[in-house]
Amino acid sequence: MIKKARELKVEASILINRYRFIFYPLYFLAIALFIYFVVYKILLVNVLNIEFNYKLNYAIFFTNYIEATRQSYVDLYVLGVITTIKISIISLVVAMSLGTVLAIFRLSNVKVLDIFAKSYIEFIRNTPLLIQIFFWYFGTDPLLPKVFTTWLKAQSNVEFAYGVIALSIYTSAFIAEEIRAGIQSIPKEQMEASRAQGFSFLQAMRLVILPQAIRIVIPPLISQSLNLTKYSSLVMSIGVVELMASSRFLFGGTARIFEALSVTTIIYLSLSLAISFALNQYNKYFLSYTRY
Amino acid sequence: MKKLLVVALALVMVVAIFACEKAPAPEPAPVGDGGDTIVAPVTISTIEAIKERGVLRAGVKDSVVPFGFVGEKERELVGFDVDICRYIAKKLKVKVKFTAVTSANRIQMLTDGQVDILAATMTHKIERDEVIDFSITYFMDGQKLLVPKDSEIASIDDLAGLKVGSVKGSTSEKNVKEAQPDCEVISFEGYPEAFLALKQGKVVAMTTDSVILVGLMGSDDNPEDWKIVGDFFSSEPYGLGLPNNDSEWRDFVNFTLMEMWRNGEWKKIYDKWLGEDTKYYMPLSWEIELWP
Repeated sequence: MIKKARELKVEASILINRYRFIFYPLYFLAIALFIYFVVYKILLVNVLNIEFNYKLNYAIFFTNYIEATRQSYVDLYVLGVITTIKISIISLVVAMSLGTVLAIFRLSNVKVLDIFAKSYIEFIRNTPLLIQIFFWYFGTDPLLPKVFTTWLKAQSNVEFAYGVIALSIYTSAFIAEEIRAGIQSIPKEQMEASRAQGFSFLQAMRLVILPQAIRIVIPPLISQSLNLTKYSSLVMSIGVVELMASSRFLFGGTARIFEALSVTTIIYLSLSLAISFALNQYNKYFLSYTRY
Repeated sequence: MKKLLVVALALVMVVAIFACEKAPAPEPAPVGDGGDTIVAPVTISTIEAIKERGVLRAGVKDSVVPFGFVGEKERELVGFDVDICRYIAKKLKVKVKFTAVTSANRIQMLTDGQVDILAATMTHKIERDEVIDFSITYFMDGQKLLVPKDSEIASIDDLAGLKVGSVKGSTSEKNVKEAQPDCEVISFEGYPEAFLALKQGKVVAMTTDSVILVGLMGSDDNPEDWKIVGDFFSSEPYGLGLPNNDSEWRDFVNFTLMEMWRNGEWKKIYDKWLGEDTKYYMPLSWEIELWP
């Protein structure tokens, strides 16, 4: 009986340990309450006599943005969040593939490819993303054949496509450097040893070098995907209605900037936390460090 | 986590004790002649603050021809709004300092106290009136469409299923969606971007207050390539933005505006920027609200 209770206790503690991420929101809530009551209510209001002269009104989210179609600001935000997630995922996939190709170019023995990849990476990494977005959207127009651009203009959601192009090209430069660094961090003797064992170059890459390199590359790739999610807010400058644009519409229409930006911040925070949590789990369960 | 909780609890207790000690001994109320401007900035009237500072800080647009823009010859901010502010400053016998604002940040600039008055082509809306105050209408406008000369679009009804450009943070994008829910609105950061998109054919029309369209058209290299079509589909009474709940300053601005209308100064400024001999000609078809 006693033993059983102890076993149960151990099992419970293992379970709690495994699913401890469920408590993360509670920690955030505790910190928020602490800041609100202790820092704001007691310190600022009571001790220093400072009070914010602004009445929050979150009910504004349920008013209609467009009366004609009865579209509320909540609908607008939902639309924005979906677009943000969509643009982030698509751009991330494209950027990963592009980045891997570029990293291989950087490491290849063909001098031309190396120089091409190097100049591409340095140019893209060292110019502001906003300028690149404007370049792809406004600047490529005169360079492309007229037949193509007229076809393009008739499509809907072109802005989204331009956003994906700009974001994935920008991020691919960073990802390429990280993957290259990961591959180069594996001592080249391992490659030589594998080749001496009779593996072909591709086999050695696939079975020996890459499995190790990926484990090293995953943490910086997580930060890149977080950056990408946050940078996606810049594509609103070419008219993509994503999360940041939704909040712009809210405070353009109602002048409620505090409400708009606080909700937007919380949504971005949860999105980023969800992404880093998911990728960390992936890292933990599929690419466990203990295996090598 | 336990450690953190202990630290947090300790902090709460320390602050609570601090607050309790402080609470029973309130500081004596300031008696007029002290330098107590920091304690209660809300009670100081804007008009006194301006006179004390000797400078009226006005927020104006910097790329909206002919309301607030950087003049080619003058190399400084000029325009209709700028001249209105200059007159108010002259009436107060103070200097004037202009700050460039955008549709998206102007209300925040005013509520933060970075400017005393906003003359930034801002439509007086009830929603906006919640956080700031407005003067009487100093300019009356409405929304129209700007299209290329050979375009088949004649009114808002023709826009169904097509793309129309607008500017974020303004009321334009909302109005056009109300009037024509079937069109796709692409919102840009500023009027130059929206006009560029129209020039490249990425949108088939752009919409905003007609006077801004007149200004954009007039500043183009070939104004005859463009035309403004359709009826007004929104009414846009422009008001000067003023800090909330400061009736002394609001009265002063209102009386000054009426005085300008009565002594012909308003008409003089109007003719200078929008009169018959300018490239932004717009017939004057309304009257300011005059209190007997």
